Amino acid sequence: MSQGRKGKVNYRCPVCFDREWDIDLLYDIEKNEFYCLRCNYVGGEADILARYQNTKTKYRDRLKRFTLADFE
Amino acid sequence: MDKFIVNIIHRPELVPEYIDRSAQAGQTEELSKREVIYESLDIFRLQQEIAHRNHLRTTIQMTYASLFNQEAIALAKQHHDLYGDEISLTFLGLNCKEFRERFHNKELAIWLYSLEDKKVIVTELFERFYQEFGFYPTSTGSYYMDADLVRFIKERYPMVKIAIATCFEEGPRVFHNCNNSWYTLLDGGPWTAWIPSKQNIHCLAKDAVDDIGIVAIPHLSRDLLASVDSPGLFFGTHPQNILRGMVYEGDQIPYMYNLVDQYRALARYNGGLGYNMVFVGPGWMGKDGRWEASHALCVKSYEDFLAYYGELKQRGEVVDQTMSEFADTFRAHQAYTEPLCALWKDILYGTGNQVFWYADPHFRVLVDMKQGGAITDLRPYAAQLQRPVGVGTPNLQNACYPYLLQSHYRAGAFTHYAGEGAIKSCKVRYGTEEIDLSACRTQAHYAQVNGSRVLILDPVSLEFSGLSIQLVTTIRFPENSGEIWISRRVVSSSNPTAQITVDEYITSCYGTTEYPEDLTGVQLAVTGTDGLTQILDYAYRCRELHQANATQVLGIVPQVNSVMEMETDSPNVIGYVREGYAFSPNLTLGMQKTIGVNEELLTCLKVAKAK
Repeated sequence: MSQGRKGKVNYRCPVCFDREWDIDLLYDIEKNEFYCLRCNYVGGEADILARYQNTKTKYRDRLKRFTLADFE
Repeated sequence: MDKFIVNIIHRPELVPEYIDRSAQAGQTEELSKREVIYESLDIFRLQQEIAHRNHLRTTIQMTYASLFNQEAIALAKQHHDLYGDEISLTFLGLNCKEFRERFHNKELAIWLYSLEDKKVIVTELFERFYQEFGFYPTSTGSYYMDADLVRFIKERYPMVKIAIATCFEEGPRVFHNCNNSWYTLLDGGPWTAWIPSKQNIHCLAKDAVDDIGIVAIPHLSRDLLASVDSPGLFFGTHPQNILRGMVYEGDQIPYMYNLVDQYRALARYNGGLGYNMVFVGPGWMGKDGRWEASHALCVKSYEDFLAYYGELKQRGEVVDQTMSEFADTFRAHQAYTEPLCALWKDILYGTGNQVFWYADPHFRVLVDMKQGGAITDLRPYAAQLQRPVGVGTPNLQNACYPYLLQSHYRAGAFTHYAGEGAIKSCKVRYGTEEIDLSACRTQAHYAQVNGSRVLILDPVSLEFSGLSIQLVTTIRFPENSGEIWISRRVVSSSNPTAQITVDEYITSCYGTTEYPEDLTGVQLAVTGTDGLTQILDYAYRCRELHQANATQVLGIVPQVNSVMEMETDSPNVIGYVREGYAFSPNLTLGMQKTIGVNEELLTCLKVAKAK
């Protein structure tokens, strides 16, 4: 098994992020996959990004622009 | 006319956190690494340039390392002369080669040193600052500054008038977020500027004698609803917070403007004064990016963010003050007894949920409209708990101000066994059925009436077998009283002759984290109209006391030097106190009354310092 290292992008574990924990993933260059030191998540870049996108759906108003009138 | 003020604070931190990432990537730690210092200074210069291009003035908080860097010193002087920026001093970024050589310590948090060490470090930084600039700073800060530390600074350097003194709700949630390794355990304080007490920095000063002598501001202005259940460092007036929380799509981050705008709207609850603070270091704008965000996105987010303040300034809708200028403004505006208030609407989850935050010298209170107007967080500022922190103190890293009730840490309405956890709510009974108002979502309307801050909640419908009623809750905070008056009134009923029982209660405990503390020593009492009092000493024996025609129920929690009293003037009220047991480590105070349509139960919860 090769040494885990930081990937090009500082991805956080998507499973831990769903628990609102910031845990950096390590990258296994031989298997071309990321893994988490804390939980048992293993996955490739596409899977990480898909999970992030799913996580963001809890922010239903993330693209909404409120106005001051909304706070009256 | 309402006034909205922003403090934009930059710090030339020369050894920011991303050095750790280099170390983790296999490089050794070398604190004077030239390229790190150059990159940090370049980022600081860029942040300043972004502010100035938007015609915004900044407060430059010099770090200890930057006091040894002639380029940083020259930049600060130049920007002070050219743009009117304030030159200030921070206790963040202590760690640098010079600090380690002098103090032989890697401790990065000023509040965690012993008081003796704090005094030496404060003196070293202030004198070093004077040596470089020829004057002492009038503003300072860190993530947290305990009252002992601030009192020493004020005594030694009386010109200091403002400090960044806490991070709002950075406590257990942030600790967990950071893999249990980020020791900013400091929740329980105000969310906006305040004048602190000499006894505890979290508490609002009750008068001039109690005034610690500075204005305090929290580190960043945070989302007052999202931070209730999530780590606040995802949701603040710092683009890195928002990128960290992943509240964006592509390069679009409308949430950061919404956050600013809702803070603008808070002026109406606070005598016409709204406040925002932006406080960024260089670490998050490094060439490697931060979290998953690229360098380009980090830079763009800050450009967009400050451009918005620039637009507001052009329209006359924000005033960019330096920290010390704001201290003067706030001093002129704020009376000691005037509460801080914020009725905050969800701008993130699409729920319409609301929370109301209230703070005065007696307490900090959180009301959750999603839970029918239940009180879900209560911090007894009246107790003015002296809790120095740092090495050599009993509290060490735990700078949180204790709660008497915290529904997220201590269960609230829902538990996995029986009964409820920590919450102040109301149960309504008809026949054998019972509904807790915490299950009835509602909305609040704010009013200021004869010196009281009042929340009027929309009616909630309660459906029993064979009976439907509508009930209105009104919550009133008379100024400088330590009292919360709560009315539960039945405003309509499908059966005008039906009687329901309203049971107003507070289930309480104390602590600073999710874990239970020992309630031995707590005393509970109930008093009747005849003046007789029954007393119960807490021993986890599941006992209860009931009193017909009660006038008062009371709980004394000596561990946090606090007393809670629930009182009523209504006749025919049954008062009770409940002891709890080890698997339900709470105390309950309650008052119940049977009422019909157009009748109410009016109770007053008072929080005071235990004698």
